[in-house]
Amino acid sequence: MAVVASTRFRAKRVLRMTKLQQLLAVGITVATAFSTPVAAQPPGLVASVATSVYDALDEIAALYRATTGVTVALNAGGSNTLARQIVEGAKAGLFISADEIQMDAVEKAGRIVPGTRLRLLTNELAVVVPQSTQQFTLAQLLDGRIARLAMGEPGAVPAGVYGRRWLEHEGAWRRVESKVIPFPTVRAVLSAVEAGRVDAGIVYRTDATTSAVRVVGTMSRKDHPYLDIAYPAAVIVGPSEQEAKRFLEFLKGPAARAVFDRRGFGRPDER
Amino acid sequence: MSAETWAIARFTVLMALLATTLVLPPAIAVGWLLARKTFPGKTLLETIVSLPLVLPPVATGLLLLWLFGRRSPVGQALDAIGIDVIFTWKAVVLSMMVISFPLVARSVRAGIEQVDRRYEHIAATLGAGSFRILRTITLPLASRGIAAGAVLGFSRALGEFGATIMVAGAIPGRTRTLAVGIYTLVETGREDAAWSLLIVSALLAFGAIFVSNRLIAEGRP
Amino acid sequence: MIDLSIDITMRQGEFVLTVRDRASVEVLGVLGPSGSGKTSLLESIAGIRTPDEGEIRIGDRVLFSSAGNIDLPARDRRIGYVPQDALLFPNMNVRANINFGRHAEGDFESLVKILDLQDLLERRVTNLSGGEKQRVAIARALMTRPSILLLDEPLAGVDRERRDVILPYILRIRKELHVPLIYVTHDEAEINSIADRVLRLGSALSREGLPAAASADWR
Repeated sequence: MAVVASTRFRAKRVLRMTKLQQLLAVGITVATAFSTPVAAQPPGLVASVATSVYDALDEIAALYRATTGVTVALNAGGSNTLARQIVEGAKAGLFISADEIQMDAVEKAGRIVPGTRLRLLTNELAVVVPQSTQQFTLAQLLDGRIARLAMGEPGAVPAGVYGRRWLEHEGAWRRVESKVIPFPTVRAVLSAVEAGRVDAGIVYRTDATTSAVRVVGTMSRKDHPYLDIAYPAAVIVGPSEQEAKRFLEFLKGPAARAVFDRRGFGRPDER
Repeated sequence: MSAETWAIARFTVLMALLATTLVLPPAIAVGWLLARKTFPGKTLLETIVSLPLVLPPVATGLLLLWLFGRRSPVGQALDAIGIDVIFTWKAVVLSMMVISFPLVARSVRAGIEQVDRRYEHIAATLGAGSFRILRTITLPLASRGIAAGAVLGFSRALGEFGATIMVAGAIPGRTRTLAVGIYTLVETGREDAAWSLLIVSALLAFGAIFVSNRLIAEGRP
Repeated sequence: MIDLSIDITMRQGEFVLTVRDRASVEVLGVLGPSGSGKTSLLESIAGIRTPDEGEIRIGDRVLFSSAGNIDLPARDRRIGYVPQDALLFPNMNVRANINFGRHAEGDFESLVKILDLQDLLERRVTNLSGGEKQRVAIARALMTRPSILLLDEPLAGVDRERRDVILPYILRIRKELHVPLIYVTHDEAEINSIADRVLRLGSALSREGLPAAASADWR
């Protein structure tokens, strides 16, 4: 009994004292053994796309792979983050932004292949409320008769910028400003509305259809031309220019267009 | 658990292991310096080492993005020799390393400070040089603190998100770690898929805590 | 035989230690109550601590000189130091501790024999008795063939009955190995049984009547 105890004690002690070496050995061995599949990056196109178009792009990329065999890796994120990455030299081939401001920044930094920038899609704002809300009208919101309004950060997130522009145009911003709860992403806005933590939220029309919320109003392009929510796309200077151009052509094509239409995005020529 | 979940988990663990392994030598060096030496600028070094702890990870990510981007001398030099960092697994490892460095260095420092300096003095009277004392006396006696620091750094690296997503992106198959994957899936409305990643993350966290507790317990008499 | 010349002043807070002595003996005793600076004195001879001013010489070798800006690092002094609590390295066994020294060229077998360490060699150091630890620490220091061996209260960690067991070992070192010793204690009887000359801290007296000045004062 004593022998067993002392053996176990010594084994534990050995374990503890060589823990450092063990960790090092494990780390180096495993990392080296598996470094090949990791280090050999699959050659292909990386497209940085705004979160609100990610779903659509995912579907289209699958179609693209089926027809051409080329895999497009989608890097989704907030447009400002994506733009910052590209400005600092991230090797994305294509950039689809949720507003012109971010694309302007990328263009100003000289990162766009000239002549490739275009309006790919348009979108519309929608006001949504929790599904349990019985009565709510846009007039209520514009009068400021609301406790909490969820929006993207009105200074930074594109959806928030547009939201504020709309409210300002309606003369309601001053009334509503103090009720605004800013969120870093549209997804966060939708979650807040779904959970009933706010009375209403301003999102994209395309987002509203995929969530458990009720739409009380949509700001159509026809009635609100000043909003002009457009998704610019552009090829980024770098090693994947050719592939990016091909993919961009596909995005303009009928197969991709069908996907965009079905998901509620507007066509670029609509003004 | 789907094949994709498994691949993301494996990738994350590998990157965290690599990051921890690479961060240990500099963290031990800095931890030792702070524990044993006084020199002009020591407070400055302490501050710089603590920065990734104090700054929001996104800010750290921005700094890394700038540092390895095309507008910085470091980024340009790397580009000249054909090394890409941004949007690659290297960026994942780098952000994990930078974020976990203060935790590991502080644990090392605490571990070394607990080693009675008189052992080192005696070793000196026996003729041992500084490096030998470090290697045979100080570090072995501080090994529990160092190991605890390594586990802590590893756990932090596993869950690292803010800096990673900034400098590595969220590219599936290339830079999507568990944390980044959960965020991206939730952001794009695919919460169901995020759940399996969440469960794996939780299991790994439990594992790390378990190992860490074993280390602490082994030290008790 | 030591030929030690020491003339130093050390300040720590309000405590000032001044030692001035010249000794050519085999065993130099340092006597003083606890807190009188005995350990600080040993540490400054060993090179672990730096006096504020003064000079320490062994024969012609200058170990420390504030005027001449000399401070030989401990690892180059070839002075063996056995501290009060042995300070055996806990991460090594007895054998590894003894062999740790850089110039561990001493006669391992004979040291082990003189200090009766044969049965302890493979043991971990953490569960040795106080007396056993002292003997191992002495062997460890002697393995480097030091020119002097410093013993800081070697019998302090040992209970009364065992003291008579340990002391003979120390006498054996003196007799068989001829290593000069500096022996520090607060026990007068102990020091009288072993030292050729006694440096008293806390008073200016010297046993031999040879010129010596040592004072430890609280200012």
